[in-house]
Parts: sequence; C-alpha cells; structure tokens
Amino acid sequence: MTQQDILAAEYALGLLDSAEALRARGLMATDPGFAAAVAAWEDRLAPILDTIPAITPADDIWPRIMAALDEAQPVVEVLALRRTLRRWQMATGISAAAAVTLALLALPLMQPPAPAPVPAPQSATLAAAAPLVASIPIADTPLRIGLTYLPDREEMLVSASGITADGVHDHELWLVTPDEGAKSLGVVEAGAERRMTLDHAVAMQIHEGAKLLLTREPLGGAKPGSDAGPVVANGIFQAT
Amino acid sequence: MEQPAGRTAADAARDRLKLAMERLANGDRSALETIYRATSAKLFGICYRILGDRAEAEDALQDVYVSLWKRADRFDADRASPISWLSTFARNRAIDRLRTGKVRQGSVPVDEAMDLTDAAPLADDLLQSAQQNAQIHLCIKTLDENQQDAIRTAFLEGKTYVQIAEMRDVPLGTMKSWVRRGLAKLKRCLEG
Repeated sequence: MTQQDILAAEYALGLLDSAEALRARGLMATDPGFAAAVAAWEDRLAPILDTIPAITPADDIWPRIMAALDEAQPVVEVLALRRTLRRWQMATGISAAAAVTLALLALPLMQPPAPAPVPAPQSATLAAAAPLVASIPIADTPLRIGLTYLPDREEMLVSASGITADGVHDHELWLVTPDEGAKSLGVVEAGAERRMTLDHAVAMQIHEGAKLLLTREPLGGAKPGSDAGPVVANGIFQAT
Repeated sequence: MEQPAGRTAADAARDRLKLAMERLANGDRSALETIYRATSAKLFGICYRILGDRAEAEDALQDVYVSLWKRADRFDADRASPISWLSTFARNRAIDRLRTGKVRQGSVPVDEAMDLTDAAPLADDLLQSAQQNAQIHLCIKTLDENQQDAIRTAFLEGKTYVQIAEMRDVPLGTMKSWVRRGLAKLKRCLEG
C-alpha cells in the first residue's frame, strides 16, 4: 500500500489524532485521489456494520427529526441554491453548444421565487448571469474558503466548512473596488456554509477579475471607523 | 440464471432506497420518510453500538437524518450501495459525537456486544451492504488477533491510535505497525 492509501485507511477508521485528522480532511477537500481512497476504504469496511443488530428506535424520533428540519430552513435554502448551481455547472460542463441550450432551461431555476415570466434571454444576458466563483486559500493549510456569486439574485454562498474558529478572532471578507477601496462583505462564519444577500451597490461591483481580501479581525469584525486588521489571504472572482 | 426470490426482494429494497436517495438529493423532503422507514432500525443499531447509551443514540440518530437531508447530494449512486453509504454516514456521525465529548459513556463493552470476528451478517436483513460482504468477514479472520482487535476497536468504538495503544498497553509505534500491516493484508485479501 502507498503512504497515501495507508493514511486514507487510517482516516476512514478514525485512528488519527485531531491534528492528523484535520490534515487528512484538508487533503480530502483538495485531492480527489485521496478522497477516492478514503471512500474506497469506507466501502471495504462498511459490511462490518452489517454485523450490528438492528434496533427499532422509539416512535417519537421521527417527529423530532421533522421538527429539527423545520428549524433548519435557512440551511436548506443554501442547499437548494447549491443544487441549482450544480445543475447549472453540469449543464455548462457538457459542451459549449449544449451549455447554451441547457443554461436557457436552467435559468428559470435561478430566478427569485416569483418573478413575472421573463422573455428568453439573449446570450449576452446569459453570460452576465453566469455564476462567479472565488477560492481563497488559507495560508499554510490546504483549507480554502469558497465563494460563489449568483448575479441574478445578487446573492453569494460563502463556504467555510473546513475552517475552525479559534474563539479569539473572526475573519472578514472584503471586495476591492477601484474607487472606494475595500468594501466589507461581512464576517466569515467558520465551519459553516452561509448565503448572503448583497447590497445592490456592492453587487454591481462584482465582476470577473474582481479582487477579494480576507483580514483577521477581533470577534465581530472590524469596528466601523477603525482600520481593518492584517490581510491573511486573497482571491479573485472567476467565471465558472 | 439469477437467484430466485431472496435476491429479488433484496434488490427491490435496494432499488427503492436508491430511488428515495435520488429524490432526496433533488430536494424532495418526502423522500426522507421513506428512507427513515427503511433504514432507521439499522442505523439506530449502529449508533447504539458506538455510543452505548439509548438517549445518546437517539440524539445521534436524529442528527444523522437531519444531516442526511442537508447532504444527500453527496451520495453517489454509481459508486456505493445506499445502505452501505448510510451505515458509514451514521457510524461517522456517531463517532463525531463521541469525539466532541458530549457523550458520557463509551461504547457498549465488547462482552455485551456481538463479537465481530465470529458474527455472521444478519441473514434476515434485506438491506445488506455489498456483495463482497462475506469476503470481508473471511478476510478479517485471516488477520492476527492484535490486528483484528485494533481495527475493530477503531472502527466500532471510535478509538484513535493513541487511545488503543494505551488501552492495550503497547507502544504507539508498535500499535501503528500492527494496524498498518493488518490493513495491507486486508486489502490484499479483498482484492485477491
């Protein structure tokens, strides 16, 4: 077995200590080969779970799950957006010609819930409506913050799923604008995936090539009127 | 020729579950109930085995289905059988709970739980993981007792290298080399 396969097995079994496991999680996110090796070990080991006797849970568990789902609606909304986006990406990934057709089909899904029916958009409109993505690597780690901006909705998904809060600092995201300097896009919530609606004025300044900064701030983010904290990472919006 | 009724029923159960997983991934919340009815006893058994406490296992089970709703799009129907993926998912969530220190008690003592090395897969369970089921049970038996014990303890009790080495009073390096040799042998056996 290769070193990587050994690490994959150890991670799948849960043998690693927290620092090693964190490193492996980072690899999972950045190295598809490693992620596949972990999945293969999970598949190999899964039949062991068949030896555990089934136990019928109490009747009140299902209602509890339903109640918890109702509380989790905002997350679900993020999810619906992510699925929409994935459909769009799948559509665009097939071929340039097919992408135009499929994006036309997918576009209504990306509109806000109840707009008046829109006429079939021209291809220029389609290009303008394409999501922009940015990946902001965290220094000295394999971790990244992923941003997806949906121009149609002036909304952004901020994914910091692999990031752990240190309890002392927050990280704040900034859009670099040519005229007004850096504009805050808000504090990044560690370990979470969040949807944010952007001010129209800010949204208008997001385009392919727009630069982003991540700064380290006291908890709650930079205080209005005071300087932002040190820049710890940066990224650029790119077309998908 | 295909096997008669038993296999067909198992296939049908697996197909129904797979379909429900696909519906869930597309955002159909009603699919979750179908999945819960088909799998909750199995997944509750797994949570209970790992956490060793009924109330903890119930919290974990709730967490499993809520997380499943949030992450159903990660299931890849082409790669894994749904029950295999769900079992692993439940196992991983239960172990996360164990690790975060929320749980007061550890796993069910080995004497009370079924002995993995001797246990055959449950015959009446339609939703068995994989065709290679029998093979992994045979392969595990080919390992040294130390290797079997460490792999089982990690997988079913959520113990790390450091913890298992302490529990068995063995140097950490020794434990790692036992396990790594065991894993290599297991893989050769499964692929052979």
